[in-house]
Amino acid sequence: MKKTIKLLFASALTFAATFAQAQTADDIINKYFEVTGGKAKWAEVKSVKMTAKGKQGGMEFPITSLQKAPNLMKQTINFQGKDITISAFDGKEMWKTSFMTMKAEKGEAEDSENAAKSLDFPDPFLDYKTKGYSVALDGEEKVEGTDCYKIKLTKKPVKVDGKEEEDFSYYFFDKENGVLIMNRSVGKKGQMKDVAVETLMSDYQEVNGLFFPFTVSQKINGQVAFTMAMEKLEMNVPIDNKEFAFPID
Amino acid sequence: MKKIILLSSFLGLNMGVLAQEALPIKGDEIFGSMRARHIGPALMSGRITDIEGHPTNNKVLYVGAAGGGVWKTGDGGVTFNPIFEKHTQSIGAVTVDPKNPDQVVWVGTGEIWTRNSVTIGDGIYKTTDGGQNWTNMGLPNSERISSIKVNPNNTNEVFVGVLGALWSDSQDRGVYKTTDGGKTWEKIFYLNPTTGCSDLVMDPKNPSIMYASFWEFRRTAYSFSSGGENSALYKTNDGGKTWNKIHNGFPAGKLGRIAIAAAPSNSNILYSVLESEKDTDKGLYRSDDAGASWKKTNGDFGLVVRPFYFSRIVVDPKNPDIVLKAGLNGSLSRDGGKTFKDIGGGIHADVHDFWFDLHDSNRMYLCDDGGFYRSYDGGSVWDMSKGLPISQFYQVAIDNQTPYKVYGGLQDNGSWIGPSSKPGGIENRDWISVGAGDGFRTFPHPKDPNTVYSEMQGAENIWRINLEKKSAKTIKPFPEANDPKFRFNWNTPITTSLHNADRLYVGSQFLHKSEDRGETWVKISPDLSTNDPAKQQQENSGGLSMDNSGAENHCTIFAINESPLDQNIIWVGTDDGNVQLTQDGGTTWTNVTANIPNLPKNTWAYFIEPSSFDKNTAYAVFTGYTSGDFKPYVYKTTDAGKSWKSIVSPDLKSFVRNIKEDYKNPNLLFLGTEGGLYVTIDGGQNWSQFKNNMPPVAVHWIALHPTEDALIMATHGRGVIIVDDISPLRQLTKEIIGKDLHFFTTKPTKMAESGAFGGYARMGEFVGENPSSMAQIVYFLKSRHTFGKMSLEIFDQNDKKIADLSPGKSKGINYVDWNYSLKPPKVAKGKTLVFGGFQGPTVLPGTYKVKITKGAKTYESSLNLITNPKSIHTADDRKVQFETAMKLFNMSEELGYVVDQIDNYKIKIDSISAKLSSPKLKKQFPVADIANKMQGLKETLVVLKGDNYVGAAEPQLREKISGLYGEVLSYTGRPTNAQLSSMKVLEDKLSDAKSQMDGFKTSLDKIAPAMVKAKISELKVRSFEEFKAAEN
Repeated sequence: MKKTIKLLFASALTFAATFAQAQTADDIINKYFEVTGGKAKWAEVKSVKMTAKGKQGGMEFPITSLQKAPNLMKQTINFQGKDITISAFDGKEMWKTSFMTMKAEKGEAEDSENAAKSLDFPDPFLDYKTKGYSVALDGEEKVEGTDCYKIKLTKKPVKVDGKEEEDFSYYFFDKENGVLIMNRSVGKKGQMKDVAVETLMSDYQEVNGLFFPFTVSQKINGQVAFTMAMEKLEMNVPIDNKEFAFPID
Repeated sequence: MKKIILLSSFLGLNMGVLAQEALPIKGDEIFGSMRARHIGPALMSGRITDIEGHPTNNKVLYVGAAGGGVWKTGDGGVTFNPIFEKHTQSIGAVTVDPKNPDQVVWVGTGEIWTRNSVTIGDGIYKTTDGGQNWTNMGLPNSERISSIKVNPNNTNEVFVGVLGALWSDSQDRGVYKTTDGGKTWEKIFYLNPTTGCSDLVMDPKNPSIMYASFWEFRRTAYSFSSGGENSALYKTNDGGKTWNKIHNGFPAGKLGRIAIAAAPSNSNILYSVLESEKDTDKGLYRSDDAGASWKKTNGDFGLVVRPFYFSRIVVDPKNPDIVLKAGLNGSLSRDGGKTFKDIGGGIHADVHDFWFDLHDSNRMYLCDDGGFYRSYDGGSVWDMSKGLPISQFYQVAIDNQTPYKVYGGLQDNGSWIGPSSKPGGIENRDWISVGAGDGFRTFPHPKDPNTVYSEMQGAENIWRINLEKKSAKTIKPFPEANDPKFRFNWNTPITTSLHNADRLYVGSQFLHKSEDRGETWVKISPDLSTNDPAKQQQENSGGLSMDNSGAENHCTIFAINESPLDQNIIWVGTDDGNVQLTQDGGTTWTNVTANIPNLPKNTWAYFIEPSSFDKNTAYAVFTGYTSGDFKPYVYKTTDAGKSWKSIVSPDLKSFVRNIKEDYKNPNLLFLGTEGGLYVTIDGGQNWSQFKNNMPPVAVHWIALHPTEDALIMATHGRGVIIVDDISPLRQLTKEIIGKDLHFFTTKPTKMAESGAFGGYARMGEFVGENPSSMAQIVYFLKSRHTFGKMSLEIFDQNDKKIADLSPGKSKGINYVDWNYSLKPPKVAKGKTLVFGGFQGPTVLPGTYKVKITKGAKTYESSLNLITNPKSIHTADDRKVQFETAMKLFNMSEELGYVVDQIDNYKIKIDSISAKLSSPKLKKQFPVADIANKMQGLKETLVVLKGDNYVGAAEPQLREKISGLYGEVLSYTGRPTNAQLSSMKVLEDKLSDAKSQMDGFKTSLDKIAPAMVKAKISELKVRSFEEFKAAEN
C-alpha cells in the first residue's frame, strides 16, 4: 500500500513537471485518469461495493453503497439495527425509505427521469463524449489552499419543475498531482435551489490498481455537513439487479 | 536566545514580537478553514440600487445592493441567495440577457445614487452559468455603471452607460459598446470629464433607437453639485453612431440629473424627469412622439425631490399611462403622468427602483434605503423581505456580557443592539433599536449594561439610553457664550474610555469631554481642524437643487481614541487631514500631520489606533476617496507621532477605513478596507485578504473581543460579520509554517449549558449564524492532505478512545469541532427508532488527548473542557447528571443485549426446527416453546409495531429507558427527583427482564448436552462484548 502511494506521488511529480504546458480540458482529464490507474482499468470497473462510516451533525452511522454500471445505485445507512435506504436508483426509478413509516417510497417522476440522464458509473469523465457530455477548462481556483484546474462538465439537460435546464457542475483537479479534489454543484430545486454544495475528496488509496478517495465530505456554505470515510471498497463483485429494485412488502 | 524563544512561546507570544520577521505565506495558505459568520441583521435590511427581473419567468428577480452585492430570488421574493460573493459589493445596474436569461446576467458595479456614503465599483461583470461564476469584462475605471442594455436580436451587442467618477474628473464616462459579448469595448459617445451617462434606455421595439441622459455632477468631502451646461438628453436612431439632443419643450439653461423611460407597450411614449434652474420648470415631462417634443405634466414634490438620489421612472409593461417614480416615498400615476399619489404604505423612505410583474401589473416590487418590498394591490400596501442582510453599518462596538452584544449604527436605519449568539440563531426580532435617523457610533457604557450611547447624523442628537427604564436623554454639547458654532461631522465621533467608565468624548471641531455620562461637557482642545472657510459652505450644497442635509459638514473631528495605557494620551484625526496628539489630557496639542511621509495634503484621517503595547506607538489610516484618490494609506509611529512609516504592501487593493491591533501579538493587525478584511501577521510587511465566507465588502469598523478573541466587523452592506477565534493567527511563526502539522494552543472550552428555546424564524427570514459551542481542535497543515489515511481521535484520561472525528485537510489553519459527547448507546432493535439511540452523554470537564494519524506519523495534543464559570449547576449536580445518564446508557445497552439474544436464539431455533419434527424430540427439547416465551418477553421490552409518527405504538421498556435517558441528557444539571425515582422503577423492570432471560438460558443450558449428543447443533449466541462491538 505504502509503495503504491509512493508510486503515485512519483508519477504525480513527473506529472507536475510535464504538466506546466498542458492546458486543455482533455489533457487535465487524461492526466487524472493516468495518475489514478489508467482509462483502460477504469473502463473495466463494472460494480463497486463500499462500506463506510458516515458522520453528520455529531452522529456516526454505517453506510453501504452499491454502484453498478451503467447507472444503478443504492445507499443505505443503518440506525439502531434498521436499514434505511437514503437514495436508490434501479435504472428507471429513484426511491428511498420513509423515516416515518420505514417503508420505501418512490421519488418524483421528474427526479427519476433526470437520474436516468445524469447518473453514470464509474466516472462521469470516462468516455464523456460518447455519453453526450461536454467539458471546458474554466480557469484555475484554489481549493483548500491548493491550486486547482477548474473543469466545467455539462451533461444532458434535465427537467426542473417541468422546465428543461442545463445540467452542469465544476470539477477541481489538483495542479500539482492531477487528482480530483472537489466538485461544486448548485441545487436545482426546493430549499437547496441556488445553494452551492461542495464535495471534497481526500485520503486517496489504491484498490486493485485504481485510486479512490477514501474520504468524501460535503460542504454547504463552507461548512462540513456530511463526511463519509470508506472502510472497505470491493470492485467487480457480483451485485444482483434486485438489490436496486424498489422493494415490495 | 533559545530560552527567550521558549519563554515567549510559553507566554503565547510570537517571536515576531522581538524579531518582526517577514512570514512568507499568504491568503488561503494561512487561513485554511478559519471562517467568518454573518449575523445580519436583515430586519432593517439596507439600501438597494437596482431591481431587475427575468424576461419570461416572473418568479426570478435580481437585486443589486448599494454595498451588499447581488441577490437572486427564484420564488418571487420570498427567499434570496447572494450570487456575487467574490466581487465588489457596490452595484449600479443588473441586466438579464433577453435570449439566454437563465445563464447570462450582467452586473455593472458602483452605486449610481451618489449620496455622500457611496463606495466605488470596478467595472462590468458577466456570468454565463446563472451566477455561479463571474468574469470581470472590463471598464475597470468606470467607477459607477448606470445602465446595461443588450440588443435582443444580437446579444453579443451590449451598450453600457458609464456615469463615472463622483469625486474627480474622468475620461471614462460615456456610452460604451461591445460587439463580442464584452471582450472588447468601444467608447461610442462621450461629452467631457465632468459629465457622465446617468441613464441609457433602449427602445423596446427597435434596438437601434436609444436614449442617453448625461449628467454634470461632482461631490467633494464638503460640497455637492448637481447640474450644468452639459447635462442633456440625447437620442440615437442608428445604434449609437450619431446622437442628438432632444430638448424640444425642455426649459432653457442648465439642467441637472435627468431620468428617462420609454413605455414598453408603446415606445413613442417617453417620460423624463428634469432638474432645472427654475423650480417651476422642474418635474415630469412626457413625449408622445419618441422625443421629438415634450410637455411638462407634473411638478409635485414627489417628482422633483432630490434628483441625484431618485432619478428613476418605470412604466407599466402593458399600460403606457401607468408610471412609477422613485422618490422620498415613491409616486404612482395612472393617467399618463398628470397626477400622482404617494405609494409609501409600509415602506422605508427613499425609493430607488421598481419592477412590475410580467403578467399582473398590480403586483410590483420596489427597493429603497431599507430593502426590498412587494405589493399585490397596485402599490397601496407593501410587504418587506426579511431575508436580505445587506445592512450598512458605520461602526460596531461590543460589551463584556456573556454572550457579548454588538452595537452599531446604520445608513438611514438607526442604531441597534443585537446578541452575538442565541439559541436557534440570531433572528431579526432579537435586535433592539437604540436610535433614529441615520445611526453611526453606538457604544455601551463600559460598566453599566443598561446604559448605551448613540447618535444621529451631524450630532443632531446624541442620546444616552437607559435600556432598563426605556428612556433616552439628549446629551450633546452646546456652544458656550464665546464659542463659535460647533461643526459636527455627518458621522460624528463619540467614544468611551477604558480609564473612566463614565467618561465620554465627542468631537466637533473641538474635542469635548464629559466625566458624568454626558451631563456636563468641557472643551479640551482648540479647533483641531484646518478651519478652512472655503470648505464650510455646506448650506450652499446641492447645485440646481439645494441639498443641505448636513452630509457635507467639513473641517470636523472624525476620529478620537484614548491610549489604553495612558488616559492623558489622546489621538484625534480630522476629516480635512489633521492628526493631533495630546499627551497631557488636552492641555497642549501637537499637530503631527507634517511628519507623515507621502501623504497627500488634507487626506481624511479616518481612524487612529493607539497601541496597547507601547504608549508611543499608534497606527493611523487615511482615505483620499473624497478627492478621487483610492490608494491605501496606513501608517505606524513608534515615537508619539514624530515619525511615521507606511505599512502598506502591494497586497492592498483598495482604500482603508479602519485598523485594529491585536491585544496579544503586536505584529498581528487587521485592516478594514473598502474591498474587505485584510490581515497581516508580520507587522504589515505582507497583507492577506480574508475570503472565507467574507465577501470583499467595505469594512468600516473592527472590534476585537479581549477575552473571546473574536473579530467583529461593521460592514457597510453585509451587516455584522464575525470571525470567532483569531487566536491561532497570533501563534504563527516561521517555524510553525515549516512544520507538516502543528497544533495550536487553544483556550479551554467553556462547556455549553442546556439552552432554552429559540428559533422561530419563518421561511425567507434571515437567521444569523451562531458561533460553534463545541470544543475546537485547531492545527496548521503545511499542505492539503490528499493521499493516504488521516484520522483524528479523542482519548479520555484513561487513554480510552471516546471519539473519532473527521479531520480537516486544508492547507493552512484547520478547525475541527468536537461535541464532547460519547458515542450513543447501542439500543435494542425494534420496529421504530428511539431518540435516545442518537445521543451520547456529555463527558465531564477535564483534559482530553487529541491524536492525529496522518500516514505513518502521529501527532498529539490535548484540549481542556471547563464548566462555564457562570453556570447555575454545581460540580455535584453535574456528577449526578453524568452518572444517571451513564446508568441509563448502560441500561439501554443491557436491554439491547437481552433483545439481541432473543433475536439470535430465534434464528438458531428456527434453523433447527426441521430436525425436531418428531413429537418425542419436541418434548425432549422444548426449544420452540422457550422461543415463544422469549418472544412474549420481547413484546414487553420493545415496540414491534407502528411507525415513527402518529402511528406509534404504546411505549415499552426500551422506549421508556430511552425517553428518560434523553430527558436527563437534555439538562446539564441535576436530574429531578421524579426522574431519579423513575429510573429505579425502570431498573427493576430491566432486572426482571434480565432474570427472565437468564431463566430461559438456564433451561436451554440444561438440555444443551443432550442436544449435542443428539447431533443437534448447540444453541449459542454472541456475548455482550460481541454485541457491542458489532455494527449491527
